[in-house]
Order: sequence, then structure tokens, then C-alpha cells
Amino acid sequence: MPRDVTMPQLGMAQDAGKIVAWLKAPGDPVTKGDALFEVETDKATMEVEAQASGYLTGVTAGEGEDVPVGAVIAQISDSADDDTKIKQLTVIKDEKDELPIGNSVTMPQLGMAQDTGLLVNWLKSPGDAVTADDLLFEVETDKSTMEVSVGFDGYLAATLVEAGQEVPVGAPVAIISADKPSNPVARSVKATAAPAPAPEPVAEKPAPKRQEKKPAPPPAAAAGGRILASPKARRLAREQGLDLALLVKAGHPQPYHVTDLDTLRPMPAETPLATAAAATMSLTAEIASDGFTDFAAWAAAQGLTDADALLAGLAGASLTVPCVVAIDRFGQQQSFAVPAGRALLAVTRTDDAPDLILRDLRGTALRSVTLGATETPVLTLMAGAQGLTIALECAPSQLDAPAAIQLLTTFAGRMEHPLHHLL
Amino acid sequence: MREITLSQAVNEAIAEEMRRDPTVFIMGEDVAEAGTPFKVLSGLVEEFGTTRVIDTPISEPGFVGLAVGAAMTGARPIVDLMFGDFIYLVMDQLCNQAAKQHYMSGGKLKVPMVLRTNMGATRRSAAQHSQSLQALVAHIPGLKVAMPSSAYEAKGLMKTAIRDNNPVVIFEDKLMYQDKAPVPEEEYLIPFGVANIKREGTDITFIATSSMVQVAEKAADILAKEGISAEVIDPRTIVPLDEATLIESVRKTSRAIVIDEGHQSYGVTAEIASRLNEKAFYHLDAPVLRMGAMDVPVPFSPALEDVTVPTPETVAANARKLCAGEMIDAA
Amino acid sequence: MAKTKTNTEDYLRMYRQMVRIRTFEDNANQLYLSAKMPGLTHMYSGEEAVAVGICEALTDDDRITSTHRGHGHCVAKGANFKEMFCELLGKEEGYCRGKGGSMHIADQSHGNLGANAIVGGSMGIATGSALRAKLLGQTDVTVCFFGDGATAQGLLYEVMNMAALWHLPVIYACENNGYSEYTKTEEIAAGSITARAEAFGIEAFKVDGQDVLAVNELTQTLVARCRKGEGPFFIELETYRYHGHHVGDINREYYRSKDEEKDWKENRDPIVRFRAWLVDQGIATEDEIEAMNAEIEADATKAVAYAEAAKYPDVSEVNMHVYAD
Repeated sequence: MPRDVTMPQLGMAQDAGKIVAWLKAPGDPVTKGDALFEVETDKATMEVEAQASGYLTGVTAGEGEDVPVGAVIAQISDSADDDTKIKQLTVIKDEKDELPIGNSVTMPQLGMAQDTGLLVNWLKSPGDAVTADDLLFEVETDKSTMEVSVGFDGYLAATLVEAGQEVPVGAPVAIISADKPSNPVARSVKATAAPAPAPEPVAEKPAPKRQEKKPAPPPAAAAGGRILASPKARRLAREQGLDLALLVKAGHPQPYHVTDLDTLRPMPAETPLATAAAATMSLTAEIASDGFTDFAAWAAAQGLTDADALLAGLAGASLTVPCVVAIDRFGQQQSFAVPAGRALLAVTRTDDAPDLILRDLRGTALRSVTLGATETPVLTLMAGAQGLTIALECAPSQLDAPAAIQLLTTFAGRMEHPLHHLL
Repeated sequence: MREITLSQAVNEAIAEEMRRDPTVFIMGEDVAEAGTPFKVLSGLVEEFGTTRVIDTPISEPGFVGLAVGAAMTGARPIVDLMFGDFIYLVMDQLCNQAAKQHYMSGGKLKVPMVLRTNMGATRRSAAQHSQSLQALVAHIPGLKVAMPSSAYEAKGLMKTAIRDNNPVVIFEDKLMYQDKAPVPEEEYLIPFGVANIKREGTDITFIATSSMVQVAEKAADILAKEGISAEVIDPRTIVPLDEATLIESVRKTSRAIVIDEGHQSYGVTAEIASRLNEKAFYHLDAPVLRMGAMDVPVPFSPALEDVTVPTPETVAANARKLCAGEMIDAA
Repeated sequence: MAKTKTNTEDYLRMYRQMVRIRTFEDNANQLYLSAKMPGLTHMYSGEEAVAVGICEALTDDDRITSTHRGHGHCVAKGANFKEMFCELLGKEEGYCRGKGGSMHIADQSHGNLGANAIVGGSMGIATGSALRAKLLGQTDVTVCFFGDGATAQGLLYEVMNMAALWHLPVIYACENNGYSEYTKTEEIAAGSITARAEAFGIEAFKVDGQDVLAVNELTQTLVARCRKGEGPFFIELETYRYHGHHVGDINREYYRSKDEEKDWKENRDPIVRFRAWLVDQGIATEDEIEAMNAEIEADATKAVAYAEAAKYPDVSEVNMHVYAD
């Protein structure tokens, strides 16, 4: 069985060696221990001994060629004419056509700790006549891009690498022949088994963002940002639905520990501001005619001179429960207590916090609003193309969908035909 | 139950094991007629003779190396290293040879040996005879490390160490050799990797090794009068470490101080605190504190030496802060 | 060298073991050169008569401790190629399940307590093994192999002192191959090597380490004396390593000339010398020897192929064997 002759690993950190000279010719008998070829590494030139006796056959690497360590470059066979196919490991593996004879140009080592170079661009084409100083290709390393010169006079007989390919340092990338090549070759490094171009790194999937478990009422951002609390206090607050922000608002000194939760527990939970802000229902109604203006004039004649109380009464009655309605106009707000039933006479001014705000924008050019829910549902009254446009914005926690629809439908109906309210 | 000194407990353990197993022997500097400077081994040479109680030259790497070879080939040597500080001299034999043989040989070779040595400051012995170097060896995979906190532990752990098939380093506190504790007459062993809850408590856990167990218990006494209930746990072996018991306690109390007489930086306390942080984080109501010896060579002057190690008062003061929810200042 | 026919088998076995070491190393070197072997290795080639001459005087009960240049000791003490190559390649079936590699091969079944990658690191272990033998009344002898470079380690003097004090059955075998890594021995060792042992009252001998019969005869005598309680002993074996300090130490002319290497290989090779003697004495014919060489070569080729194809240990083994049960 033939024994492979490989490019030996000679130094501690050596990737390839250059064959300076073959000391035996194909077919020569060799004895184990005979000097077989000369190799040049970064440090020195030395002879490599045959590791078996037999005949030198199947020489695949020529003098001057750089060969990766471990690549098979010849065989020692039992007979001089053994032509067992070599499982070639160099860059010319799997290629059927013969490579032209000539000097190899290799991927240079440009940086201190560089294993490969990216061949960006060929500056000559196969078949071109070249001189040693001509620039042959562009290489990109981690640091920079630079041009590499040919190094030999002659012709670019073969390119062994395509532009855009990553090539191990020391691997041949081109062959420069002395004579004009009859059949210049252009190849790709893909089919080779020599140190393969590093596979495209699999796009690193960003680790899925850990879903923060939001406490039922999320703590409002404390003044100055993060609330200082022990890991255990934080965990218990979350598990028990407690809002550490309430302690901050109450002026309780940080950091919070488990004992502080005893103080927190009896504190009233705040209206879920943030939740309201997060989700908004928005409904819009249009009515063909504004019935309210005439109604207000009529009512004034009847002695009901406070038009806003009327407006609040119509809106509040649409909620069907006793409530406080604030009329908001140009930043001025006045609240009215609206009792159950339809008695507009019973509507009185109050300072209580409103359950419903009626924002009156009729005198403005605004025709539609999307301002988002606030702590109370808001009805916005605007002039329409003909009659009025009325919008309702609220959070699902304040009114569910049927209630919101009911409120707006009822209110819109009353604004169109206020007298129906009285019937 | 009878009370004997830690020194007597160690002596009993070694004598019992030497009677039980003829492959056990002890070697070291002045272990035979002198019975060591601390007189721990007095009487052994009379019973077992100089072939099994061997006085060595002052050649620490040499006789520890001999112990490794004897252990690899069928004996169970105990080596006596007169002072823990000399462990630096034997690091190659202990860490490159003893600790790695079993692993490097793919499980074929075993090194059943015990290196008994000591630790502990405040004996006015200055920087080269006062160190507590357990962290150095606990860092090395392949070595086990036991730290008895009383005569009872000293005996039970020594007997287990002698029967263990791995290199075990035992650190005895040289200030505790004359301390007495109840030790049963009948034979007992203390398994490795099983912590001892010395005292139960609810507000804070003290995890303390060797000499520091006493310190922690005294601190707990002080705190009890103030209404703070401290739990005291002695891991007994730091390799293997009974992590489960420590974590369970800290989950209960939400606070912990780890106390060991080695230098505080990069030490045993740091390792244990770090594990609590990793495995009991959401149960912590205060940062885990480390308390070790100051990061200075041990000074000679009593005025200086006494402030280098944790005391019941300093432990109690830190515990108060943690229980009061005070910020531990990072600056 | 007047020998009787009854020793024929011993002689052939000694020759065979030397060739096995050389063949093992040639194959190991090839594995390294062809980048098939992870890491580095230190070749024993050239020193075969030392390991074989000594180990052939020992039984499986006798122990040895070995060095970073330890393949020769391992083979000489009876190890198999297959498990050795597997270990060199980090495979599951290696002597240490791939956890030790070239520098830590241990083969307890044949009394090899293992190679040691700390120069002089095993001197304590060897002496301790001898202490155990004496303590437990066992008659085995321990041989501590180390190089000339290791004589600069203080541990040697500590353990020789104790071995001499306690008459331990240990033989310190100093393989003086002339170089302490990349430095000539005369540059690192003052005075005589054997005088170091003699200072402790240890009988010390100097022997031609390229003469397997001389080494073997001396060792047999010393082993027998050790068993009678006359140890310890010290042997300095003059020998030569053909390769560099390790396989990557290729360009070494700055510390050692090619002519010197050539001279040792051509004129003092232990295998060539012993082969000539075997033929001359009519113990074996050239054909028989060639057949033996071929058989060993085939054996090695087979073992290498086996090791190359063998399984790596399962990654779950990484934290096995840190502690013994």
C-alpha cells in the first residue's frame, strides 16, 4: 500500500511550508530516512526525510509551491509506476483540468495574528502578461485592505481563488507562468479541502428579551428613576401585587426591605394611570344637526341660564348613574354633579373630581381628536361639516365596549334632539 | 458526655484509624517523640513505632511527595505540615501531583492521603506562621478541604479524611488545640459535605468556618439580647460544600454574613457569598457580607494583630446594620 | 559478553522492545508532522536501551515513574500500542481515556505510575512508592526515571536524603542525554552527576546508556540488592535523544550540531549495535530480525489506524474522575 508523503508540521505555529526542491524524482527508489525534499518555513530551510521505503510516485506539489501542513504532496509506493490516485488535500482538489506550470503566488501573512485574508479583487485577468512589481490582487485583513504584487515576471496563468473568497495564509492563489499560457485557468477555492474558508457565521440570534413580568399595577416611575429595594422585597411586592412606587410617593425612605411591605400593604392602590394610557378606546359620532344651541336658548328662556349645566346634565344622564361631569373649555374646567334620572334642574356645580369630562371644542377649527385616555373618560364636542362631531376616548378599565357605545350613542342622540331627553 | 481537647480528638482519630488499617501511617517534622510542637501526636510513636510514625527531615516538598507516591501505590499516608504557612512549599506536590493523578489517569490512579496542617492568627506568630490558606487549596479541583470547628468535628472529620480515597487537606485552628468539647467515647464519623446547623435563627444566617464558628456563636449571643435571632451554620468541609443547607437557611432568614479567617479578598467567603447570590438572590433582603482577615500580612504586634480578624463584636455590628436595612456603602 | 542459549528469548525480547519504542516514536512523529495529533510530544528515539535495559530487569509488580519524554518507558514496561496511540490522539480507549495525553500516560497494570509533565515532578512519587513497599513489607522496587535537566530540581536532594536515611528500594535512573531542553547539560550542572547521590551515601553508577545489555545487567544487580534492603541506588545513563526537545524543536543547530547527531546515530545507535550482536552471536538471523521489524511496523500501522478511527470520549466525561469514590 502506498504511503502518503505530507507537508510536515515543523514549527510550533506553522500553517504551510514551501517546497524549495525535490531531492528525489518521481519513480526514484527511496529508503526510509533518505532526504526527500527541502522545505522552507518562516524560520529556515530543511530537509525532510522519507518515512517509508519504496518508490516516489504521485508528486503533486512542485518546487516553489507553498503547501498547507498535512497536505499530501506525494506517495511512496511499492512500485515506480504506481498511479494510485492521491486523495489530494491542497487547493486544487476536485479540479479535473491540469494546472499550468509556474510560480505560485500565495496569500501573504499581513498581520501578527492573521490566519486568512479576504481576496477582495483581482487586478489582473488570467492570461495577462505581468511583471514582478505589478499589483495582482487586493487583500482585506482585519486591519486594512492592501494590494499585493505579483512577485514574478511572466503571465497570470491561473487564478485559484475568486474575488470575495477568504483564503488561508500561505495558500496559493495564483500561478505565474514563464510562457504565455495557452489555456489560462480561473478557479474558485470552494471545491478544495485545504483549510476551508471559514463558514459564514450563523447570524447570532439576539437572545429573546426576557419578558418582564409587569406587576398588575406597574410601579409608576419614581422620582429619580429606579426604586431601591432588596431582591426579596421586590419579588414579594410583585407576587402580592403591591406597588413600591406608592412608598416613594408617600415619602417612605429607600431602600425598601421586606418589612416595608407591611407599610405598603394598607396603602390605597392608585387609579391605574399607566394602564389607561396604554390602551385607549376611541369612538366618534357625527350628527347632522346641532340641536343643543336652540335647546339652550329655549331653556334660558325657561330660566335655566347655565348652558354648561345643561350640557353636563345631558352627558351625565347618558352614563345612567349619578356622577360628576366636568365641562372643559379652553383649559377652564367646571364640574357638575348630575343625579340619577333626567332632571336637568337638579344639576349643581361641585368641586368633586369628575367621572366624565366633556371637552367643548365647538368654537375651534378642530374636527377630530386622538388624545388618548386619561384618568377619566373624555367626550369631545366639535363642530362637524354640518352638525356636530362627538368623540369618546376612554380606557377599557373605565368603560367596556358596550358601555362606551351606549354612552356615545345616547349622548349623540341627545345633542341632536335635546328635547327627547325631557320626554 | 466526656469532654476532650481538640488536640486529643485528633490524636484519638489517628490512633483509631492506625489500629483499624495497617496501611495508615503518619509522617512529618517532629511527629514521633516530639509529638509535634503542639503535642497533638504525643503517644502515637509509643504505640505504633517509628516505622508508622515517621520523623522526616525539614523537607516539606520531599515528604509530601513521598506521601503522594505511597498513596498512589496502596498506603494511606497522613502528612503533618507543621504550619499552614508551609503549604506554599508543597504546592507542586499537592496541586500538580496529588490533586490531578486521578483525573489525568482517567480514574485509574487514586491518592488517598491526608495533609493535616493548621491556620489561625492572634498567636503572636507574625506573618509566616499565622496565615489561614484554605482558599489556596480549595481552588484546586481534586483536593478536598475540611475545617473542623471543635474537638467533635476534628475527630469525626479526621477519621473520614483518612478513609477517603482522595487527597484531603485538614486545617486545624492552632489556637483551639486546648479547647474542650463533648466527644463520644464510641466511634463516629462525620461525612464530608454535610453542614452543621449549630444554632437556629430567623433573622440572619452566619456561615462560619473553623475558629470563626465560635466567633459567630458569640455574635449570635450578643444579638439575641437585642431581639435579633441569628442562625449559625458550620459547613465543616468547604470542598465539598453543602450548598443546599446554606441556601435553605438564607432563603429562610433573607440575610447572611460569611465568616472565614482567610484573607477576605478572593477568599472562601467570596466563594460562598457568590453562590448565595446566584442561588438565593430573590430571597435576599440585604447584601451578603463577607468577613475575613484583613488583606495585610499578619502583623506581629498584638495591638495590630487583633484588629486583622473578625470578632464577635464586628460580626454583631454588621449583622445589626443588615437587619436594620441600612445601606452598605459601596464607596 | 558470554551468553547462554537460555537467555535467547530475553535478548530477542529486548531487541523487540527497543524496535517497538523506535517504531512507536516514528509513528507518533508522523502523527504530529501531519497535524493529526493534538498538542506536542517529546520523542524517546535514541534512548531505547535505557528504558528497555532497565524495565527488562523489572516485574509487573515493580513500579516506575516516567517523564515528559515517557513513551519509551511506557512501551518498555509493557504497554500496548493501541491504548497508547488512542491516548496520544485523545481518544476514549486511551490509557487515560484521553484525559492525560502524551505527557501523562499511566499504565498501572504494568506498574507504570505515569509520566509527569513537571520536570522532576515524580521523584517524590517514586520515593514514596518505595517507602510504601518498605512499610508494608512488600518486595517490589521502584525506578525513578528523570533526565539530566531534573538534577537541578531541589526535590531530588530532599527525596534522595530520605531514601538513603531509610534504605528505600528505589533506583534513581538519570537519563543524561546531554541536553536540558535547549541547553547543554554542562551549562546547567556543576560538578559530577553521580557525586550528587554519593553525597548522601547512595551508591552511584555510570553506564553506557546505548548498550542495552550493560544497562540490563547493572539494573538486575541493583534490583536484587534493593529487594534485600540495600537500596537506594543511582544510575547515570549516558544516552542521546535523536529529536529535539519536542517534535516542534526542528531548527536546533544553535545548540547542537548536525554532525554530533549524525555521529550518535551512525556509531552508537542502541538498536543497530544490539542487532549486530544478536546476529554475530547467532541468536537471530538477519531475516528473522527483518521479519520481526516488519511485524512491529505492521502492528504500529494497525494501531495508528485504529486510534485514528476511534471515538473521542463523550463530552459528559469532562467532569468525571475529578474525585475518586
